[in-house]
Amino acid sequence: MVGQKSTKAQSVFFHIFSCLLGFIMVYPLLWLLMSSFKSNDTMFHNAWSLIPEKWAAVTNYLSGFEGVAGIPFWRFFANSAIVTVVSVVGSIFCSLLAAYALSRLKFKGSGFWFGCVVMTMMIPSQVMVVPQYIILKHLGLSDTLVSMTLPWVFGHGFFIFLIAQYMRGIPRDLDEAAMLDGCSKAGILFKIMIPIVKPAIVTASIFAFYWIWQDFFQPLIFVSSPENYTIPLALNLYLDPNSYNNYGGLFAMSVVSLLPVIVVFILFQKYIVEGIATDGIKG
Amino acid sequence: MKKIFRRTFLNVMGAAGAAGALAACGGSSSGSGAAAGGASAAAGGDVTIRITWWGGQSRHEYTQQLLDKYTELNPSVHFQATPSGWDGYFEKLATDTATGGMADIVQMDYMYISTYAKNGSLADLSSYSSDGTLDTSTIDEALLGSGTIDGKLVGIPLASTLLAFIYNPSVLEEAGVEPPRNGWTWDDFKSICLTVKETTGKYGFGGSAFIDTNLLNYWVRQYGVPLFAADNKSLGFDDQQILTDYFQLWKDLIDAGAAPNPDEYEQIATLGNEASPVITGDAAFHQSWDNFANIGANAGNDTLELLVPPVKEAGQAALWYKPGMFFSVAETSEIKEECARFIDWFVNSDEANDIIMGERGTPASSSARDYLVGSGKLRGKQAEMFNFATEAADYCGETPAPDPTGISEINTYFKDIAYSVFYGQATPAEAAAQFYEQANSVLAANN
Amino acid sequence: MFTAKAAAAPRHKRRGGSDLRTGYLLLAPWLFGFVFMYLVPAVMSIYYSFTNYNLLSAPDWVGLDNYIQIFTQDQNFRQAMSVTFRYVFIMVPLRLAFALFVATLLNKKHMGMAFYRVLYYIPSIVGGSIAVSVVWKQIFGNKGVLMSLLEVFGIEQKFSLLGNPDTALFVIILMGVWQFGSCMLVFLSGLKQIPQSLYESASMDGASRFTQFWKITMPMLTPTIFFNLIQQIINGFRVFTESYVITDGGPMNSTLTYVLYLYRSAFANFHMGYSCALAWILVAIIGLATLLLFKSQRAWVHYEG
Repeated sequence: MVGQKSTKAQSVFFHIFSCLLGFIMVYPLLWLLMSSFKSNDTMFHNAWSLIPEKWAAVTNYLSGFEGVAGIPFWRFFANSAIVTVVSVVGSIFCSLLAAYALSRLKFKGSGFWFGCVVMTMMIPSQVMVVPQYIILKHLGLSDTLVSMTLPWVFGHGFFIFLIAQYMRGIPRDLDEAAMLDGCSKAGILFKIMIPIVKPAIVTASIFAFYWIWQDFFQPLIFVSSPENYTIPLALNLYLDPNSYNNYGGLFAMSVVSLLPVIVVFILFQKYIVEGIATDGIKG
Repeated sequence: MKKIFRRTFLNVMGAAGAAGALAACGGSSSGSGAAAGGASAAAGGDVTIRITWWGGQSRHEYTQQLLDKYTELNPSVHFQATPSGWDGYFEKLATDTATGGMADIVQMDYMYISTYAKNGSLADLSSYSSDGTLDTSTIDEALLGSGTIDGKLVGIPLASTLLAFIYNPSVLEEAGVEPPRNGWTWDDFKSICLTVKETTGKYGFGGSAFIDTNLLNYWVRQYGVPLFAADNKSLGFDDQQILTDYFQLWKDLIDAGAAPNPDEYEQIATLGNEASPVITGDAAFHQSWDNFANIGANAGNDTLELLVPPVKEAGQAALWYKPGMFFSVAETSEIKEECARFIDWFVNSDEANDIIMGERGTPASSSARDYLVGSGKLRGKQAEMFNFATEAADYCGETPAPDPTGISEINTYFKDIAYSVFYGQATPAEAAAQFYEQANSVLAANN
Repeated sequence: MFTAKAAAAPRHKRRGGSDLRTGYLLLAPWLFGFVFMYLVPAVMSIYYSFTNYNLLSAPDWVGLDNYIQIFTQDQNFRQAMSVTFRYVFIMVPLRLAFALFVATLLNKKHMGMAFYRVLYYIPSIVGGSIAVSVVWKQIFGNKGVLMSLLEVFGIEQKFSLLGNPDTALFVIILMGVWQFGSCMLVFLSGLKQIPQSLYESASMDGASRFTQFWKITMPMLTPTIFFNLIQQIINGFRVFTESYVITDGGPMNSTLTYVLYLYRSAFANFHMGYSCALAWILVAIIGLATLLLFKSQRAWVHYEG
């Protein structure tokens, strides 16, 4: 089915269908975008409407970039960027190592540790965060950017599982051939495995980027100084249900905060689906 | 940023405040600003006060200004501030407390203050109050009493607020109804709501009486009994008919379409205060706090008027001045005296109130109120609120004790049980019996 | 809890001995993080589950009391269980099917594929935001878009899917399905791993597309399906954000998911010990479900090699 030629009619039908579905998918984002152009006093007059009754785009974005509590918005942005990039790189690299060990090496305890990996995915983070915080405090790491990377940077169950699952799909003959050529185990990982599991690595990176970027609860508990706040914490500063809120600024900054996630996705998604030498490896 | 649209009126805070509301009960207004000068002298060396509060953007801005100002006046005192949105504030506070790291000064809510006090997390400030470090003589006794738990002064009220009904004059005019006056009865309320529905098709009442138990508390007090018993181990009354009548009133209005049913209300609540039907001209009445007209003005409707809630019989004083929010000091804090000094400055001084401008609600301190009124800096709706709060004094009785531990569970039950009436799954009497039982068991388990 | 046979260790007989040193060397970074950020906190929270702990005072040992109360007296526990099971059993198959359907659709060489992939992934990005909360309530409320549409077709009923206890969970489930983006990505990368040559030779043998899908795509995709299934079941049982953001468990607890309930117990009602007990019961249930799935792999998951 891949690459088979479609007739023109099929193609037209496909595009109509995809666009309709796509509109439903993307409506909330459109709504957010258009609401970020609405003035605060008309924001909720016709909440469902996409067209602003009164435009206030410039005001909203300017007030958003001013930031909160005397801290400019770019600072929150920079914090998020640092935490996210460090966490994603560390997490994917460590997960890759662990996934390779657990899926393709034979050693005592590997089954047990894989069980532990899956187990970490099951525990609701809501009851883990208090003990985690207690440990961070003892280590003197509370209220630091480092603390927010710790749950991720040593690898994460989901990514290990995802990458391991791909590695299991790769024929073993390949390793054996490489061993005969004098490749070490580590050599196999870096020279052979990584190029093959690139789609899994990219997929995991996309997920990791988004999860860490938008994580609210752990940063909330771990960090106390606004200088260390990430974007989700900063956005929360705008809102107090019992007073009058600057929704315009909030929505404007929500849009800005989503941009990196969308850009990362656009840049990376093509690696999932192209340029992989899958042909010839199998079959 | 998650749940904000739902959490509507959990507690009371001012988007803007009025001054002088409690003029009748205020004490002397000495000490304004006087404490500021001497704050640091005793400490000897620099101190850093950790302080945390929740709020919206404007509160964060001016509170930061306040802290800077205080440091300017007292160069040896520094601050480490943790501003927060409402969401997550208490999750973080509980976790910090669990690790012994509660901030020195915390902004505390009426809903949680007794839980924290009962667990010994909050410092007793009475000694600082009696030695004059923290002048509480400016704060009405009943209001101050709400921050006193088991004989310990664990919270200094920053602001006070009142339950209020809000009406939209143009909707009433459209329905051909004269605007009611303070002292109106529940029967008046009901019949106007029904008339509005019949003549205009709009809601008579555009809110919900089941978001929390505050209005119920007022209702119950009209029967001369408290909502919660003095020991907080049970409800404060035996007559379930009181509850039945309450459910019946709202059921009648909802059945007639004069108030939103639960489906409709959830829809309304999505959009927050700013889009309430009473503001958008789709309802005649709303029930909220006395800062609501201000919210309306900010959301584009400056015509809303405030009313004291309806009474059962003339001459009742079932309303009360409710503390908006408190400043509490952590029991674990090593600089309690410095904290007390700062709170005194925050509550009483002219410099501080010049910056706060009643944003946290009508100031609790009479000196702050007098100063704000005298300064002539209050805007239109704030001045009206001042009048309202003065008029309401006639309808105010004693401030009830803080909400008991378990209140959020009780609020959840209250709403669910009320909804079962409106969905026709229970009669008002059955619901009353059910709520009575559930609330008592929660109270017995928690207190 | 997973034996080597069921889960991880290569089943393939190999030359040479064990890779013990390399294995642990590669595993070391994760092990380090695991001990500090998972193992120790997990042990602490198991301890809390046997205590009366309100966060503000020190934990107080109560033995099995929390567990006994959960199983014998707690109405909300039963409600939360029932909501969560219904959510998992309906949402997960729907999301997987939808994700697979769209992934196969997008796996063709059409113009603008990247554009559609972005469109379909977007719901997974905006998931828990205010925008979604407002928009979903606007669509499914009683004056919402959906009801306006029905009115066009002459069905004039003032009825809110979200406000009604019988239907609110349906909306939450629909929202889960709508966020099929990440599932779809995993399928897409799985599809790309299937060698083109298999389809070419099948085409030459005259197999129809439908046959190709069932005989080639599906079997080759089973490891991916397996991964997605495990992942979605685990996340399904832990569903929190959707009901927290949209309904807060209401109306009348009809969308009170398990994790929302334990979150509330811990942080709104100050019953952290009780909440930890609830959490470990959930872990046991998810663990059991996962174990069964791992055991079942042999019957339907095809690994190469």
